[in-house]
Amino acid sequence: MVEIKFLARVIGKECIACGECQNVCPTEAIKVVDKKARVTAKKCLACPNCRGVCPVNAIKMVRRREPLRMGVDPLEVDQVQLTELCRKARLHPHQWLCLCTATRVAEGAAAVLKGARTPEEIALMTGIRSGCTAYCLQTSLRLLKAHGVQITPPPGHRWYDTTQTLWDVTEEMIKKYPGHFLEEDKKVFRKI
Amino acid sequence: MLKKASPSRMRKSIYGPDPGRRAAELPGIVGLELRELFPDIPRQIYIEGGDISVIRKATEEALEKVDMGMIRPQDSVNILTSQYGFQIMNGEAYTEMVKTIKDVVEQRTGCENIRLRVATGFRLREPEEIIRHFKLKEYFKGRAAPALYIEKGVPIETEIGTLYGIAKIYDADWIIHAHHGELRELDMHRMMNRAVKPFSMSYARMETRAVHHISFGPRSSNIVPRLIFESPFVQSKFTFGCFLLTSPQGIIGVDAGHDMYELDRKLMMIGFKSYGKVRELMSEVRECIAVIDATGEPRYMIGGGITFGNLTEAEMDLFDLDNIPVSLGYGLYERPPGAPKLKSVNPAIKALVLNHMWLGVPQMELPGHIPTIVVGRDLAEILSSDPMNHNFMRYVVSAENLETAMAFAEKIAKTDNVMVFDGAFGALTCSRPLAEYLKERAPAVNKRVDEKLMPKWLRQRGIDPEQALRESV
Repeated sequence: MVEIKFLARVIGKECIACGECQNVCPTEAIKVVDKKARVTAKKCLACPNCRGVCPVNAIKMVRRREPLRMGVDPLEVDQVQLTELCRKARLHPHQWLCLCTATRVAEGAAAVLKGARTPEEIALMTGIRSGCTAYCLQTSLRLLKAHGVQITPPPGHRWYDTTQTLWDVTEEMIKKYPGHFLEEDKKVFRKI
Repeated sequence: MLKKASPSRMRKSIYGPDPGRRAAELPGIVGLELRELFPDIPRQIYIEGGDISVIRKATEEALEKVDMGMIRPQDSVNILTSQYGFQIMNGEAYTEMVKTIKDVVEQRTGCENIRLRVATGFRLREPEEIIRHFKLKEYFKGRAAPALYIEKGVPIETEIGTLYGIAKIYDADWIIHAHHGELRELDMHRMMNRAVKPFSMSYARMETRAVHHISFGPRSSNIVPRLIFESPFVQSKFTFGCFLLTSPQGIIGVDAGHDMYELDRKLMMIGFKSYGKVRELMSEVRECIAVIDATGEPRYMIGGGITFGNLTEAEMDLFDLDNIPVSLGYGLYERPPGAPKLKSVNPAIKALVLNHMWLGVPQMELPGHIPTIVVGRDLAEILSSDPMNHNFMRYVVSAENLETAMAFAEKIAKTDNVMVFDGAFGALTCSRPLAEYLKERAPAVNKRVDEKLMPKWLRQRGIDPEQALRESV
């Protein structure tokens, strides 16, 4: 269970409607409407992105009256399906999906099995992407792809579809780059 | 000889509280000189507070051998920098090297459109703070800008498919890679392709950073920066690299060139010989209280010229490529199944006192493993709002001031060994009993690294130890 205690608030008179905030929001919680950025409170995970890129410092974080609580119980979905999805994505259910919120891959997989079809939806169900927003995106995309979801990157630069892993390294590359432990690390993964 | 401790000065930031009383001021805290422990660690040409003109001179000399013929007067050039360089000894040396690169390129090529790009880890406002603090906008005639991992990307075709750099990093005709050789996170780079690592980190979009850190193994991940660096796109813009060379003693020189792998080998040799010994000494510590007291996040905070991460991971020799740490690279997963493991923390750290630090990196492994005391309400308040460590304050206690924090830490840890990470190079800020213990252990460490470990580290990287050591003498 992730508790979101803060909320982005736009200082209306400062906002210049540049739209950079909506380009970096992991849940589409902030959008420019009528020449002002506006926040949908129930979608805001209080990550540092919009505040961090605002060129005029028009966004601040305020404490919520009640924390937003989110999380998916992996036990609520079929365990065989969950294991199979993780296997296809070459992820272990117990490994971390999000370091910042201490969310495991099993929870992200459960979110996908419960209907999440985009990284944004996984984030809103589990609370991931509320911290650095960086390391959990790719793992989310891997789960979605393994589930057969067609990935369509959003317009702008909210995220790009990049999901390369060690498994994409070819035999040819292994021979070309000796000393990089490519085969040896594959063995480490296989053991896990 | 034990001397008065000399902590690095601190820079103010929105990511941390205002600087207060320093741990170096506590009674019984001394500076243990590293040269006394390891006389062969390369000597510094500069240490914080020294004559900064030596950095300018060293940079000018290093650049003399660099061909800049590709840069025409009408071209644009981006000098690429990373936030951590601006933390080393309060950033003065790195800043001076960067300014000198600009001046030399301008003089030699006639090009005036030289821009500065400051990349960062996760502190999105930090590049802005750096540019303001070091007056870089003025120096670069308004052409200094942050480059953030969530900003617009640029596709880079590599042998494993399309990866993404930050568009602002590559939005010039040419790029200059201005970096440093400080050891920083050995668990990640393992002294493999260290010189080009920023191409998949500082200069990369978040997705590419995840490819490096999450989706490859604890050694193989270091192929990712190489693939990006060697891509036709990056090579079409790359001019040369210019590096601040460091050892735990301080800045030991500046090197520059076109061949990043030659530079990489140099960094490796310096790294093994100097960081290898101090790191190995950390593994000799059986019990201590660690105090975090400088600019930046704990993991990358310097004590005795080496980052705190090297103490937390000292139980495993990470230069040794046979060792496989529980790392981001394979998902922080511990067998047997059931419990995911936080990054391991050296059990010799019996208590942790956070006196001064910044937010900016997921680090729940610290309060998860070590009894942790936060000093002062300001830092506690900042930590309670940290989006990257959601429940940090649930697992720590806070103390009114540094003295009460230390008294409490000593009660928990039952040791008077105190090691302070306060940004100091050249000497380790520590308590007198720990200093005496480390002095006693240093000769054995020296011998072990020279005779056993360094030859192994070199052989693992395909280098003949005898030849390499002969060359480095």
